[in-house]
Amino acid sequence: MGKSQNGENLGTETVSDGGDEQNNPDELSSEPGFKFDQILKDVDQFIETLDSGENNFTCIDQFLEMVDSEIAAYELRKASAKFGLNMEEFFEAVKLLWTIIRRLEELPSDSGATSCLNRAGSEHHRAMLLLENEFRTLLDINTDRNEGETKLKTVEEFPYFSPESVSIMNRIGSTMIFAGYEAECCIAYSGLRLKALDAELSKLSFENINVDDAERMSWESLEVEIGNWLHIMKHCTNNLFSEERTLCNSVFSEHPSIAQRLFCELSTSLTMRLLNFPNALVLPRQYSTEKLFKFLDIYEALRDLNNMEIGNYLSAKEFMSDTFTVQCRIGETAVSIFSQLENSIESDNAGRIPVAGGAVHPLTRYTMNYLKYACEYKDTLEQVFQKHNEMEGLTVQKVQENYIEKDDRFLPASPFALKLVEVMDLLDANIEMKSKLYRSPSLRYIFLMNNGRYILQKLKESTDIYDMLGHSWSRKRTSELRQYHKLYQRDTWSNVLQTISHEGVQVNGKVSKPILKERFKNFNALFEEILKTQSTWVVSDGQLKSELRVSISSVMIPAYRSFVGRFQSYFDNSKQAGKYIKYQPEDIEELIEQLFEGNTTSMIRRS
Amino acid sequence: MPSTDYQGSSSPLTNLGRSFLPLRRDQVHSMESPIGGSPSNEAELESFQRQVADRFHDLASVPSDELLSLPWVRKLIDAFLCCQEEFRVILFNNRTPVKKPPMDRLIADYNERAVKALDVCNAIRDGIEQIRQWQKLIEIVLCALGGDNNSYQRSLGEGQFRRARKALVDLAIAMLDEKDSGQALAHRNRSFGRHNNSSSHSKDHHHRSLGHFRSLSWSVSRSWSAARQLQAIGNNLAVPRGNEVLATNGLAMPVYTMGSVLLFVMWALVAAIPCQDRGLQVHFNFPRQFPWAAPIISLHERILEESKKRDRKNACGLLREIYQMEKCSRLLGELADSVQFPLNEEKEKEVKQRVNELKQVSDAMKEDLEPLEKQVREVFHRIVRNRTEGLDSL
Repeated sequence: MGKSQNGENLGTETVSDGGDEQNNPDELSSEPGFKFDQILKDVDQFIETLDSGENNFTCIDQFLEMVDSEIAAYELRKASAKFGLNMEEFFEAVKLLWTIIRRLEELPSDSGATSCLNRAGSEHHRAMLLLENEFRTLLDINTDRNEGETKLKTVEEFPYFSPESVSIMNRIGSTMIFAGYEAECCIAYSGLRLKALDAELSKLSFENINVDDAERMSWESLEVEIGNWLHIMKHCTNNLFSEERTLCNSVFSEHPSIAQRLFCELSTSLTMRLLNFPNALVLPRQYSTEKLFKFLDIYEALRDLNNMEIGNYLSAKEFMSDTFTVQCRIGETAVSIFSQLENSIESDNAGRIPVAGGAVHPLTRYTMNYLKYACEYKDTLEQVFQKHNEMEGLTVQKVQENYIEKDDRFLPASPFALKLVEVMDLLDANIEMKSKLYRSPSLRYIFLMNNGRYILQKLKESTDIYDMLGHSWSRKRTSELRQYHKLYQRDTWSNVLQTISHEGVQVNGKVSKPILKERFKNFNALFEEILKTQSTWVVSDGQLKSELRVSISSVMIPAYRSFVGRFQSYFDNSKQAGKYIKYQPEDIEELIEQLFEGNTTSMIRRS
Repeated sequence: MPSTDYQGSSSPLTNLGRSFLPLRRDQVHSMESPIGGSPSNEAELESFQRQVADRFHDLASVPSDELLSLPWVRKLIDAFLCCQEEFRVILFNNRTPVKKPPMDRLIADYNERAVKALDVCNAIRDGIEQIRQWQKLIEIVLCALGGDNNSYQRSLGEGQFRRARKALVDLAIAMLDEKDSGQALAHRNRSFGRHNNSSSHSKDHHHRSLGHFRSLSWSVSRSWSAARQLQAIGNNLAVPRGNEVLATNGLAMPVYTMGSVLLFVMWALVAAIPCQDRGLQVHFNFPRQFPWAAPIISLHERILEESKKRDRKNACGLLREIYQMEKCSRLLGELADSVQFPLNEEKEKEVKQRVNELKQVSDAMKEDLEPLEKQVREVFHRIVRNRTEGLDSL
């Protein structure tokens, strides 16, 4: 004390009694020099020997005199630059003053301390006022700019205080709290921080949207607001709250419970504003299935908010309860949107007109892509459905269907996984129903294969769905596909194969030419019919298409080759042979490659 | 029909639920009453009217020093929540006719009103927060002048008075209507300047008051107006016509009743608690044939009268505790301005007396403010819950 920052003794300037403007402000606090020290020593000693007997309050008076002039000097300084580098002495003096007051108050009322006490009290309040004003000025960054006074150094990032400012605020806060002015300190802090947070939100283009207005907004407008809200929430949970907490802890580093309380209150206030919008979104409205993802985003933002450690103070309970309530409601909304998927699958019967060429149905595409996208939110959806079940009091029955095979183990399925299975079952049933619209069994099987294959393909692309449905589900599907394949083969090609069967060509041990001619005629007719029809059918999956063709070829071509090989010589001449044997085995091979191309030369046929 | 008590639950799950009403689909069907009104339906409707009437008679029978007090306001909200629950049960018990016109339109109207009330709830919460801030200032006064339990008996010095005076001035400014705060600032600087040692102070105080507390447009948009919102809630609130009553099998009546109750309760809250653009000019027209009309109309008149009284005309809220706070602090402020030091015994006694009065008000507020806020939140959540349920079950 009494020395400048670099340790030099700053001379013997006399104590002036009202603040000497000519003094260098930075050296002000060192002005009383060694006399300051002496006074403090005297006071310390005085306090120690304080008793109810005779007391000489002279040294106290001197001390008060000194403090008075210090305060006056500080008051004259410009706002926001009051406390420079040597303020520590002043704070110590203020604290000492409070200590004196407390000690004096303990004395009985007749000890003659009254006038001294009174004067001390006045100085004390004056000092507190000084501190409070300075505290406010430091906290209220914007004011500086408006007033055009010397700007405090600020930093670019929220909350924009330089470490020096924070340090000074810390000292002021500690002193005020020590000296019984905690209330004023906290009111100032809360009020100005709230104002700053408000300004920060405005910078992020946050605006209060009344519930009433939100309810009437179109989805397009809502979507914009949701995007904005999500952005702001992210900023709050990632930056704002933690920065604010850090500030609280820095300013009130010596009083962690106060820091905690103030932070709790601030974050609760802030959250209240943020929750208003999602509360409006859960009011009933027809949300179509695609809106699911926005709601899941909102759910996740609320979950992140809820997961923040706000602390244990009372208002934290309110914060968490409110956040949790909205989060649940949003979750419920998400559940109902997802459930609409089931409704739309069930009710989709496409006007009873089957898809041309047995192709993959748009509903299949939509559903699988939807589910694939949804599973990117898998964890969130699991949570949402879990919560939904809890609230509905639903329990998953421990039956075999509700166990899903994963890595050779059978695990109970989560509510969402079960939901997924439900959706898939509905889709299956719908595809099944639609397949019956085809009069031709073969086309029916092609349709079933197309859609089944598409589903399996999509599953492969998303391990999440695959895992949730489990191995046995996929295995079952795959074997079903194989079954359809066989059925198709039989339905389309067995008749054809019969025409080129070696059996029944002979009559009484001799090859019958009429039968042979009939056979070839039939073969050609059937084959051409199939070609004509089934070339218009569609198999979009390249692999499935080639599998089909290959399995047809592998049966047809050897059979045909062998038939032709065996019986073509029975024709009289090559001209006659040519009339009946329209196709060579190589031709058959080529023509089979035309199957399932979806040639649109013919109209939609139910054949 | 049993009277339903609203369970003030703190668990968020019951806010969401399916609370005490079984709403599973299988149970729903068994509770549907036939379309052609049965005696149970009539009894139910009548019982509802009676319950509402009873509650408001209760509320109306208080002496004027209890009217618009914190406990009374809390009772009012309680009454609202009970009425709302009973209304919900009625709708639930009459699910089929509720879906048919014109009942569906009537319900939709009511729902719209209820949604508007949500914003009022938010605004009221802001107002309660404001009051809480005033409460903090009062605590400073009490601490300074020995009104809190912590300070021991000592004679009061100048410093303490200055501290109290400063807090009182801050309080006075904070309690003025927002639109007057510009003038208030000037006044305050003047009055404070008298006791200043340094003139630089008044300039410093300039920054202070505005944005001091969480403003009244913390939760609602800047252009939101309580007056307009109330008018919107009351918009087209008309007594059901004879043919409507017939067509809805009497159900139009409870819908109208609930709408009226909603309007009145929101209006009373706005009257009591500070909020943005707090206008009380709303047209009330409840026909006397309803048993609840008389007490509600009487309350309405009494509250309006209160708002016109000379010393309450510019109040930021008619809550009795606000009045007491304002009066006590003003008297104490005047007293504090007039004291000379050292205090004589008589003055000291006077000061202690005023401080005690202020303490009583403060204690009363401390007890009831938080529960009040909780209740308002409950109203908010109930309305949302009833709306979100509405889609599932109706």
